[in-house]
Amino acid sequence: MTSTNGDPMQASFLEVRDLTVSFPTATGCVDVVSHLDLDLEPGGALGIVGESGSGKSLTSLAIMGLLPDKATRSGTVRLEGEDLTAMPESRLRRIRGDRIAMIFQDPLSSLNPYYTVGAQIEEAYRSHRRGVTRRQARRVAVEAMDRVHIKDAAQRIDHYPHQFSGGMRQRVMIAMALTTEPELLIADEPTTALDVTVQAQILALLQEIRRDTGTALVLITHDLAVVSEVTDHIVVMRAGECVERGPVESIFSDPQHPYTQALLDAVPRIDDEIGDLRSLTTTGGRP
Amino acid sequence: MTATPLLQAEHLVKEFPVSGTGGLLSRGDTFRAVDDVSLTVAAGETVALVGESGSGKSTTARLVARLLDPTSGTVRFDGQDVTGLTGRDLHAFRSEVQVVFQDPFSSLNPRHTVERIVTAPLTYQGRKPPGGSRAFTQSLMERVGLDPEQWQRHPAQFSGGQAQRIGIARALAVGPRLVVCDEAVSALDVSVQAQIINLLRMLQAEEGFSYLFIAHDLAVVRQIATRVAVMSGGRIVEEGPRDRVFGDSRHEYTRTLLAAVPRIRPEWEARRRARAAERAAADPVPTDATASVRRGA
Repeated sequence: MTSTNGDPMQASFLEVRDLTVSFPTATGCVDVVSHLDLDLEPGGALGIVGESGSGKSLTSLAIMGLLPDKATRSGTVRLEGEDLTAMPESRLRRIRGDRIAMIFQDPLSSLNPYYTVGAQIEEAYRSHRRGVTRRQARRVAVEAMDRVHIKDAAQRIDHYPHQFSGGMRQRVMIAMALTTEPELLIADEPTTALDVTVQAQILALLQEIRRDTGTALVLITHDLAVVSEVTDHIVVMRAGECVERGPVESIFSDPQHPYTQALLDAVPRIDDEIGDLRSLTTTGGRP
Repeated sequence: MTATPLLQAEHLVKEFPVSGTGGLLSRGDTFRAVDDVSLTVAAGETVALVGESGSGKSTTARLVARLLDPTSGTVRFDGQDVTGLTGRDLHAFRSEVQVVFQDPFSSLNPRHTVERIVTAPLTYQGRKPPGGSRAFTQSLMERVGLDPEQWQRHPAQFSGGQAQRIGIARALAVGPRLVVCDEAVSALDVSVQAQIINLLRMLQAEEGFSYLFIAHDLAVVRQIATRVAVMSGGRIVEEGPRDRVFGDSRHEYTRTLLAAVPRIRPEWEARRRARAAERAAADPVPTDATASVRRGA
């Protein structure tokens, strides 16, 4: 199998092969992710784009081994050659949150309203670093909050989630993810719930983190403009399958698959009114 | 402006009571969501009201549509003050102004059929659907690109895009002169969104009504608006013809907002379009453009 990054010899950092996720229904099993391959080099940024129902979010949960119980998964997920699907849960739990961290669309539902953000960041850190004292954990938490540009981190650390805006909460989630210095950050629609100016700040932050720490990124989103700015390789998904993959520039400047072409035609553009109505309506199906 | 604008909102203010005490809002016990907003919509034009969350754009839309009563200020429709209308007069106003909401499923009664949903605005006003309820429903469904044979189905049997078409059909049922779209395409996937934008444009071309288009997505607004008003903190900070606001914005906030919009690189876009044009030239597919826009197929 050829690596999507061009060099079939180079073992990739994250290598997903033949990933299939299915759910039982009244009429039999349905594949919601179907024979998916993904490759990501160390420090790379991979975008997974698709519309609702494309299977992009379940792909990220499948990589992390966080699928709901009734889902079945087949295929392999290798992190530096080690198959995450074949290891015991206890070992996987150490990798999750330590080497791989994840951030989600809605930071509020991932934060406990009864604890200060500091307590939650410290807990996340200490659960992965045995023997760390409270004082050390607190220092790491303040540093992480500094790094995501939360001003007055030493004071803000004792505030509760409701005292933060949506964008600031997402920064808290990113800070939490960063404490263990993960090699891979999986971000599932991290800016979808945010205002556009806040989105721009969070995307800039993710890029800054990549640049400074070399953390690899998997960005899952429905927003084509967002992936075009942040990632260097793209996988376009539809109905659980990859329809097209490649370097960001070739996907956006010379898409080969009719679905990708239609999807890009449908993106409303800030700098131009799309005059040709037909060009917007060629994705097929009855929405 | 020479002619009377279709809609004229003047000095609208809306204050909401703030529950509890303490915190940032303890200064008074009200929060001013809309703070002296004046706005006009001429016949046949599309005015977009854009802003981030909390800017007051949706509250303004609700005031204009008389779904909320303003704390102060007036709403004139076709020159007539409609701010204090009640009863029969308010019903008459509802025949002129209709609203399409963001989430089609929560704004359509799940237990009602399409027929009952789209004829409801007429029923409320004690009017009979011209030509009979079923025929009327089917003709509306046709106009918004739904299969008229599905007039007895319920909302859950439709996709999100189709459900939004039902919402649009309902708005059209009374023959309004102004349709307020409150984030009407925000919840839709990009391909579906494009189809609904096209449908809205086409219906306007056919019927000549006006839109007040509330949206946070500036790229969407670019596709449909003739004029744009930018809101922040309950006020309109900038207002003007679309291309002027987008191309030569005067207010700092508008510039910040525009700069924050993620963009596909123009050179990639240009190359992609050139390739697409080559492909289209090599293999032309003749289609009935109007029918394809309506059905989104």
